[in-house]
Amino acid sequence: MKHLSRIYTAIIMIFLFAPIAVLLVFSFNGANSLSVMSGFSLHWYRELLRDSNTLISLRNTLVLALSSAFIATVMGTGAAVGIDKLRSRTALTVYDTVTNIPMTNPDIITGISLMLMFVFTGRLIGSTSSLNFATMLIAHITFCLPYVILQVLPRLSQMDRALPEAAMDLGCTPVRAFFKVVFPEIMPGVLTGLIMSFTLSVDDFVISYFTAGNGFETLPIRIYSMTKKTVTPKMYALATIIFFTIMALLIINNVMSDDQRAQARERRKARLPMSSTADMLTDAETVASPAKGRSRKLSDRGKLAVVACLIAVCLLLIIVPPALIDSDMQTLNVYNWGEYIADGSEEFMDVVSEFEDWYYDNYGRRVNVNYTTYATNEDMYAKLKSGAVSYDVIVPSDYMIARLIEEDMLLEIDFGNIPNYENIGEEYRYLYFDPEARYSVPYIYNINAIIYDANVVDEEDAQGWDLLWNPKYAGKILQYNNPRDAFGTAMYKLGIDANTTDPDEWNRALEELLRQRPLVKAYVMDEVFNLMESGEAAIACYYGGDYFLMSDAASEDVDLQLYYPDPTCYFMDSMCIPSCCQNKELAEIFINFLLEEDVAVQNAEYISYSSPNVLVQESEEYADYMGEEAMEALYPEIDDFTELYNANSFRNQDSATMDLMNSLWEALKIQ
Amino acid sequence: MGRPRGDNAMEKNLIRADRTALAPYTAWAALFIVVPLAFVAYYAFTDASFNFTFENISRFFTATTQTASEDGSVREIRTYIVIFMRSLKLAAISTAVCLVMGYPIAYIMARSDARVQKTLMTVIMIPMWMNFLIRTYAWITILQDTGLINRLLSAVGLSPVHIIGTQTAVVVGMVYDYLPYMILPLYSVMAKMDVKLLEAAQDLGCSGLGVLRRVIWPLSVPGVINGITMVLIPSISTFYISQKLGDGKFFLIGDAIEGQYTANNLHFAAAIAFILMILLLICMGVMRWLTDKKRGGLA
Repeated sequence: MKHLSRIYTAIIMIFLFAPIAVLLVFSFNGANSLSVMSGFSLHWYRELLRDSNTLISLRNTLVLALSSAFIATVMGTGAAVGIDKLRSRTALTVYDTVTNIPMTNPDIITGISLMLMFVFTGRLIGSTSSLNFATMLIAHITFCLPYVILQVLPRLSQMDRALPEAAMDLGCTPVRAFFKVVFPEIMPGVLTGLIMSFTLSVDDFVISYFTAGNGFETLPIRIYSMTKKTVTPKMYALATIIFFTIMALLIINNVMSDDQRAQARERRKARLPMSSTADMLTDAETVASPAKGRSRKLSDRGKLAVVACLIAVCLLLIIVPPALIDSDMQTLNVYNWGEYIADGSEEFMDVVSEFEDWYYDNYGRRVNVNYTTYATNEDMYAKLKSGAVSYDVIVPSDYMIARLIEEDMLLEIDFGNIPNYENIGEEYRYLYFDPEARYSVPYIYNINAIIYDANVVDEEDAQGWDLLWNPKYAGKILQYNNPRDAFGTAMYKLGIDANTTDPDEWNRALEELLRQRPLVKAYVMDEVFNLMESGEAAIACYYGGDYFLMSDAASEDVDLQLYYPDPTCYFMDSMCIPSCCQNKELAEIFINFLLEEDVAVQNAEYISYSSPNVLVQESEEYADYMGEEAMEALYPEIDDFTELYNANSFRNQDSATMDLMNSLWEALKIQ
Repeated sequence: MGRPRGDNAMEKNLIRADRTALAPYTAWAALFIVVPLAFVAYYAFTDASFNFTFENISRFFTATTQTASEDGSVREIRTYIVIFMRSLKLAAISTAVCLVMGYPIAYIMARSDARVQKTLMTVIMIPMWMNFLIRTYAWITILQDTGLINRLLSAVGLSPVHIIGTQTAVVVGMVYDYLPYMILPLYSVMAKMDVKLLEAAQDLGCSGLGVLRRVIWPLSVPGVINGITMVLIPSISTFYISQKLGDGKFFLIGDAIEGQYTANNLHFAAAIAFILMILLLICMGVMRWLTDKKRGGLA
């Protein structure tokens, strides 16, 4: 029996820690892959330390968790004290029900409900940034509160009710009586509530996703928006550091409580040792507790130590990236795709901080760039449309720019502030979405390509869109996990205009995708990297420039190749200034900065898509870095780019077509 | 009772103080728990220009999709009903697996000595500090066709198994992420059980299984109910796990809500959320009613 239970415990532990072991190991990967391990290196740890945006998002996560846990604990403890004294059954039932709501409601509903309220009231009072740090804080406090209350309440009911009265008989005020008598009694519950709130807040993604606003990006949001590019081992390195920090805290805590226990044993007072983060999530009276009196105080001290360490770590983190509270400081809110700017990793420039320094040198004022990221055009649009955020620079794709212009959500750019605009090639300036070049400055463009593993795919099959439908490679084919691109592949194959509004043509495309479904291994976005690199999949349609990132990290027995089917889709992501912009001139200066030769080269190398910047295209350093093959693939010989682009890019859809597309997409997905 | 007079005033004082302590929470709960839910209902029953409509609600129940079955025949199914039932099925499987896996470990923990209890508890909590997204991502590396499991299998000469993208993978992800939510409530009731009761049952001739069935299980029911609630609810509404581990082939109710949100169809997203909320409330209500008042709430 004893052995059996040991073995069982071991199995559960292996299950719980297997993924953690994986991320620990892969954080030391020499290559940029989460599935192919090649060599041991500390590379990703160095990268992490250089990536100021990720560090800031870590700091934000901790600040948010700490402040919401603290506020929730204070308010929740007060609430528990009050609820404990309620005598009316009805009142108790009401409080019970309301308190249970955030716990028994799915996260997604809590998130959506708060988001709807913030957006609605924000619009009512005409606020342009009603989603911000405060709303995330409110959301986190709201879902932490019930846990605190449910921890403290049982402690209160165990307490001798005569105690506070006695204290007051002896002349204490109610407040003093609370702190002198009640608080020490309920302390373990309060601390457990605090630690639990902190844990839940750190781990939360869903509620943050819906309530996040501009200028305050937490770690989960950042990771989620890496969906277009890839989640790098850098994130694993971060998780590993978090893991060891927690371990260290726990060990310190254990040693400390061991000390205390030893002392206590000497004094023959401790009866039952218990402590630490351990009793999180259980309700307070757990752990077979005759542990009243002294031994409980031991556990308190252990927990206090953990809390103190947490606070210390967080304070350090808050201080490390120097948050200069400068009255003269300006803020620039930039909202870009995940992994879409050189961020100081590898040998790259940290463009954002470079800009901050450059601006200070040239204008003598500090500027703080709040750089946040999104995963899709639609995510960005949803936030912008809610009217609850305020960004100064955004980088949407073509069809989204058309929609934003149509809905009057962009400002005309003053090109007088952007002298570097002349670096943009003439043929990239007047594309269909902004034919007079008034609202947008091209940032980066690319062509949808088909990437395949030449060790699996026969040479003669590797052409056109048919490859994605070739039954020979069933189970090896990847398709986009977003409706617009996926339907696009089917329409190109069928020779339908990808911008059709004809429902019949959309239904034909759906049929084509349904025919493809049994052959498809997975519907993917960023997962495409791992699946192609490891050889799990052999055929994918993806953005051409990503091919180079993949083939760099591919495993040895995988030989990735690329070709452009005809016709295929071109896309251009351009910098725009949304109408909610607070500092238009600064936004223009920032855009201008991104067009500087060295900055644009760095970004083009980092993103590995094609640059519309002539200086980049002509740069020898850039050509050397990318290599001949890449240059040919990224900049195929094109007579009239504007014409080709206008004929082969996604247009803004009317809402009926968009609705149709979404329901057809659901139809594909629920088969 | 012969209380001195001063007590009355003091008691009033105390009550006033307690009311004051409760006030911030009351305001907060009303403003940020109750009112937002009203907003969900408001959006669910209005159209884009905030005119009252049943459109969104009825769309949930009536929207249909053609599906082709294996033999080529075409059936018409109710889109969102099917999506909901699928989510419920996966969530129910995950919850059951969590219960089966978590029950013994909770029992083992509750019966170990205090030091081991404490360590095990901490160990179970640790993964929660690493972000949910990263943990889920790491499972891809384990489950994929060239992943760790399959490399292990081929190393010992067994044929590989295809896990990623199947229902199993999604269930593994859910079980992994929500297992602690099952273990902890179970453990907390089991730790409170009186060992003497178990010994008594054995003394009176109960077999091991008998003790489990007649003593341990009935006593642990409140923990079981709590555990089921804590696992079922997040797993029914998840959208990240199904996207990453299901190869994008499992479209769950959470995906539907998120999809409508990103398509900027807030009113329909709210309608799905509203219906999901009502259905879950009914589920929970039934469960509570079945188990009477064994569940320890505030009241």
